[in-house]
Amino acid sequence: MNCEACHLKELEVELFEIREVLRCILHSIVFHRALGLVRPKDVDLELFDITYVQCGEVELGKKIDEKIEQFVCWVEKHPNKKSQICLSFYEVKNKQASWFSNKIERLYWEQWYIYLNVAQHPKGHSSKSHHAKAVDPGEGALEDRNARSAALEASLREVLFQIIKFVNEKKDHVPPIPNLEGAVSFPYEITIPSSSDSAFGMDMIKRMLQTGHPTMLS
Amino acid sequence: MDFQANMQPELGKLEQIVHQFLLKSLHVILDSRVPLLHQHDRSGDLPMGSRVRRSDKWFNLALGDRPAALDNLSFWHRNLMDQMVIDIILVHEENGSSVETVIERWVVQYERPRVMAPQTGDITGSYKKTYKKSILLFRTLYSHMRLLPAYKIFRKLSSSSHTCNFDIIYKVSSFRDPFSRAEDVVLEEYSFTPIEAIPGRLCISVTYRTTLSDFNLECSTSLPTQIITDYVGSPLADPLRSFPVSEKGVRATSFPLRGIAPPSSAPLERPHSWTSGFHKAAPMVQNQQYVGSPPVYRAPSKPYDIPSPPTDSHGIRIHNYRMHNRHRSTSYDEYQLSPPFSPSPSPSPPTFFNSGIPIQTRVRSETAPVTIPYPMMGKSSRTLSPNLSDHSRNSLPPMSPKRNYASSQESPSGIRSFRKLESSRIGELHTGFTNNAGQKIARDNKDDSGRFSGLLSSSDSPRIGFSRSSSRLSFQDDLEDGDFSCPFDVDDVDTPDVQPSQSKDGKNAIEIGSSVPICKKSQDAAVGVLVHMLRTAPPLRQDSSCYSSHSVKPEPEGGVATASGFFMPRKTADALEELRSYKEMRDLLLSKSGTRILNKE
Repeated sequence: MNCEACHLKELEVELFEIREVLRCILHSIVFHRALGLVRPKDVDLELFDITYVQCGEVELGKKIDEKIEQFVCWVEKHPNKKSQICLSFYEVKNKQASWFSNKIERLYWEQWYIYLNVAQHPKGHSSKSHHAKAVDPGEGALEDRNARSAALEASLREVLFQIIKFVNEKKDHVPPIPNLEGAVSFPYEITIPSSSDSAFGMDMIKRMLQTGHPTMLS
Repeated sequence: MDFQANMQPELGKLEQIVHQFLLKSLHVILDSRVPLLHQHDRSGDLPMGSRVRRSDKWFNLALGDRPAALDNLSFWHRNLMDQMVIDIILVHEENGSSVETVIERWVVQYERPRVMAPQTGDITGSYKKTYKKSILLFRTLYSHMRLLPAYKIFRKLSSSSHTCNFDIIYKVSSFRDPFSRAEDVVLEEYSFTPIEAIPGRLCISVTYRTTLSDFNLECSTSLPTQIITDYVGSPLADPLRSFPVSEKGVRATSFPLRGIAPPSSAPLERPHSWTSGFHKAAPMVQNQQYVGSPPVYRAPSKPYDIPSPPTDSHGIRIHNYRMHNRHRSTSYDEYQLSPPFSPSPSPSPPTFFNSGIPIQTRVRSETAPVTIPYPMMGKSSRTLSPNLSDHSRNSLPPMSPKRNYASSQESPSGIRSFRKLESSRIGELHTGFTNNAGQKIARDNKDDSGRFSGLLSSSDSPRIGFSRSSSRLSFQDDLEDGDFSCPFDVDDVDTPDVQPSQSKDGKNAIEIGSSVPICKKSQDAAVGVLVHMLRTAPPLRQDSSCYSSHSVKPEPEGGVATASGFFMPRKTADALEELRSYKEMRDLLLSKSGTRILNKE
């Protein structure tokens, strides 16, 4: 089974926008992949005029929020950096012990890459004091922020359309739906950059090779 | 054949999937676009103990209770292979008139080639793949619906705190009307990847307006509704309020279905098409005209999107979707159309709007149905029928104007139009609506029961009926004013008919009525006394020239003498005085008895 990957459009976000944006994207993806019985839940974003859909499962929501908090912590430690979050779906295969010395093997069949460029723009006065006009510097900053916010909203909307398009076009690689209780039918993993890594790509390769301790989220 | 034997259950399952696919897509689309379809909680959590209905579990997407109408697709969607076209229509105001614009068109179809290609390969179990892919498709469909422009206005409309100057309705049919070129410019199309459903495939596509900012769509926060505890519907606004609850079944069909004869045949030609009637509606012409699908009233050459529909039906179509969906179920059955979405079979009455306002804001609460009690007077001896012909009630003399107003002020909330009327006659204004109308109708001597018969027998529009009666009201006013000039000039005074249940005004009527015969009685008695006097009066011998002695002549003196018994000799002065009094009496008698005495003289 091949592993399909979807690379979402990069988003320029500010620190205070991260949580909402990530929640929106992660929940949207999971909604399309949690193929058990679901009662969809419409959620309106506060910062943007967008409504996304959640599965409505409390446990799932908690886990996603945990990951987001971890990510925010990381971002605060590594400001003004481009970062990446990976949401992977895998199948668990029991395999005999090999040189990885573990019985359980994960077979990833789909991966979603979320690219964020977290920028922290200076708030308040901007460097417009040299202008002849008595322009209120606060206004300039506000306009900039509004422009950025509008751009982010448009980009976020694009990302959501991207998700829909991908799910529509690629269906064959999805494994058969197991008859499980609850909405989440496939194990998933959310990977955030860890503090020790400089290059995110290395981290991903490591994950791919690992058959490490089960982080399967039930 | 073995192959065929294997096919059959597969095909059966596939057909079931296709059927449910169509139903589910309709459900998802309408659930996300048309308010009032469900008012279910969208919180998402499956609460403990709550069961999802089996029909809702299809494709693992539970949306809540599906309207009963959707459970049976077959009677509108004849052929599974027909395309299902769902038009989401925005009803909005433009230059003062109501305009409908298609803002989204969803097409769901099970495409199947006419020629069955020989199936190679193993198709067993292919329906499972179809089902899995359908699950994925419905997830994307559900998400996608929240990203299109129409979702925002749907949310505005759904919000209970808003009253909006627009509305969203839908139309389901099996054909597509082409869009105009002007519309094509602002429309975009999106197709979901078709799902293999051997031997065919399932397709969903949408054509939608990219922007809705061209429309003047406004919502305002309305005041919280309050319940008027002693509300009595004004007949102008709520022509049906006076009817008891039991009339509802009649009301459903009483509305001017029949008035629209020619286009009503249209739905029969297109039984597999229906449109919505979700909205709080005026009791106007029901929607069947609209359902008469576009080719009926738009000539085939006419594009669908023309904002002003054909004028002959335009005025009616404004109200089409206003009719409450619950009422339309009965009417639709007649025309072999599927009933519209009917969230619950609760019998609460619809709200009706003033007839003059084409676009109505969505009234969020309805006043409780008021059962207006029939007047007590009507119950005992006669039923209060619309064709009131009880003239006895007319016989009560009208009260003075002051009395009328006083009694009307006692009534709750004012049926203002009736203030001048003889409501006091009946005595109880809150029953006055039916009664007064009845009174008016009877007094008119036209036996014009247009208002009520229109409501009961569906022969006429209540609005029209009412306007007639309102013109009659003014006539009645004039009549009444004339009556005041001669308070006792009544045709018959039928005092026993005055019911004891009347108010004090009625009692006053009794008093006046009874005073008339007393007057008459005294006059007769006075005449009788006079005649007796004349007969027993002594004759006057001296002055026989100026006094007609005809009354005395025929009688012999002896007779007079014996009759009188107390004849005494008199003086001339006495006699003259007596003569004068006789003259007076004579004049009095003359005036009463006409010309008979005159002639004799």
